Amino acid sequence: MSSQQGNNYGNGGYGGNPGQSFMPQQRQEMSYLCADCGASNEIRPREPIRCRQCGHRIMYKKRTTRMVQFEAR
Amino acid sequence: MADETPKIQILKGAASDLSAATYQIHDESHTIGNALRWMLMKNPKVEFCGYSVPHPSENHINMRIQMYDGLSSLAALLQALKDLDDLCVTIDDAYTYSLRNDNYERWDEKS
Amino acid sequence: MASSSSSHLPQSVFNPRRHVGVHAERVSDVSSTEFPGHYPGEDHSWNLAKFKQNLKVSVKRLSQRSVEFDLVGVDAAIANAFRRILIAEVPTIAIEDVFVFNNTSVIHDEILAQRIGLIPLNVDPRLFDFRPPGGIPMDRNTLVFKLNVTCERAKKGSSSPYINEYVKSGDLVWEPQGEQATVFASRPPAATNPDIVLAKLRPGQVIEMELHAIKGVGKEHAKWSPVATATYRLHPLVLLNPSKPVPPEHAQKFAKCFSPGVVEVSAAGEVSINERYLRTETMSREALRHKEFEGCVELKRIRDWFIFQVESEGPYTPESLLPESIKVMRGKIASIRAAAEALLEDSQHLGGGVGPDADGDVNMGGQ
Repeated sequence: MSSQQGNNYGNGGYGGNPGQSFMPQQRQEMSYLCADCGASNEIRPREPIRCRQCGHRIMYKKRTTRMVQFEAR
Repeated sequence: MADETPKIQILKGAASDLSAATYQIHDESHTIGNALRWMLMKNPKVEFCGYSVPHPSENHINMRIQMYDGLSSLAALLQALKDLDDLCVTIDDAYTYSLRNDNYERWDEKS
Repeated sequence: MASSSSSHLPQSVFNPRRHVGVHAERVSDVSSTEFPGHYPGEDHSWNLAKFKQNLKVSVKRLSQRSVEFDLVGVDAAIANAFRRILIAEVPTIAIEDVFVFNNTSVIHDEILAQRIGLIPLNVDPRLFDFRPPGGIPMDRNTLVFKLNVTCERAKKGSSSPYINEYVKSGDLVWEPQGEQATVFASRPPAATNPDIVLAKLRPGQVIEMELHAIKGVGKEHAKWSPVATATYRLHPLVLLNPSKPVPPEHAQKFAKCFSPGVVEVSAAGEVSINERYLRTETMSREALRHKEFEGCVELKRIRDWFIFQVESEGPYTPESLLPESIKVMRGKIASIRAAAEALLEDSQHLGGGVGPDADGDVNMGGQ
């Protein structure tokens, strides 16, 4: 069972992570992982989707860094 | 949410002088049930004593006590609890004594 | 495995009333009959002085991880109560809440969280409070760990091609909260064993999480159980029939039916029992399978002689586990006693009897 907690995490003494925002900043280049070589690629709008290292054309989106809570059971 | 359930309830059907009664003990299991049953049965004034766990998903036990001579089962229960506590102290003391004074094998066990 | 300290069994061990029969396909006389009224003219009522006299507790073997001790002279109800408390009700600290910020390893968040919960921690639970369900985490009831591991490719020529290939329990980083920095200064909280593999990583994979550990008991979840095993067995006893000795030509075969050392064979082929090795007997009942030994031997166990084997897995030293379980037991007794005394007081106020009220139940506030 998991529940996603946004900013109500860590009430009562345990502050969250100051400076870390769970929302991606706007107008930022998104970083993708090459499906072939695993290299990290920044792809801007209207740019060809192509790995700078190996030329592969398939990219993966990175996992979100949004916090997910689990019970260790 | 506060826990409103009382630790002990006397179930209906108990004799008015409590010479025979069923005590429902909340938040206990075979651990206390069987030990307490044994201690109550060691009392010669107890005619019958038995316990049950009515259902595994309900967190309580039922302890039935019937007394000879119209004596109070509640008094017998209190006496048994006191005796059980004495027993615990005795075992604790004996174990501590053995641990301090006995000559037992010590060995190295890797984890 | 043989205990070096035990030599000869006391004579009272041969009292048939203390014996549980072990037969080829069944056991007999399992329950104790020593209750008031069972044997005419005998007093079996509770007697603390008599109990003290008969009770024998002796530690047999002790290591850093486990203890073996004998508890002689108590009923199974009592021995079992301590065994059950050891497994399910002696509290420990274990990780309960897992906050995953990133996990790109091949092991799923849920599985990893479950594995992390099972890590035994070296924290003394006596320094902690229970955190009620939904309660606020505070320095008195919650420990915080961070687990931040990134796997990278190692430089050429190093022994392993990867850095942080294994995420181990030793990678947990304790973050002191409030007064914890001083309370745990002498023994910083960590896993009892730093080499438990939690996950395996490859270059580029990251695990980033925060872990909250709280106090709990084994009946809630086994991760809070302070023991790996807590078990007892009854002391074995092998009785030879003096009126039907084992045939000398089969003596060696007879000896092989038992654990090594239990049966000794003399030069003349006479068979005897070495009491020193009796406790190692596995009670395989092999001797009962052979026609030639029929009626020669009886297998018994001593009903009130419990051989406890307790393996600690967690913060307690093995020898401190039984005293802890006794503490828990006494706590339970005290809470029931307080409730029963309240019942008694109420019954006296009502004038000699707790009459069931309209709905038939008698409700009394306990504790």
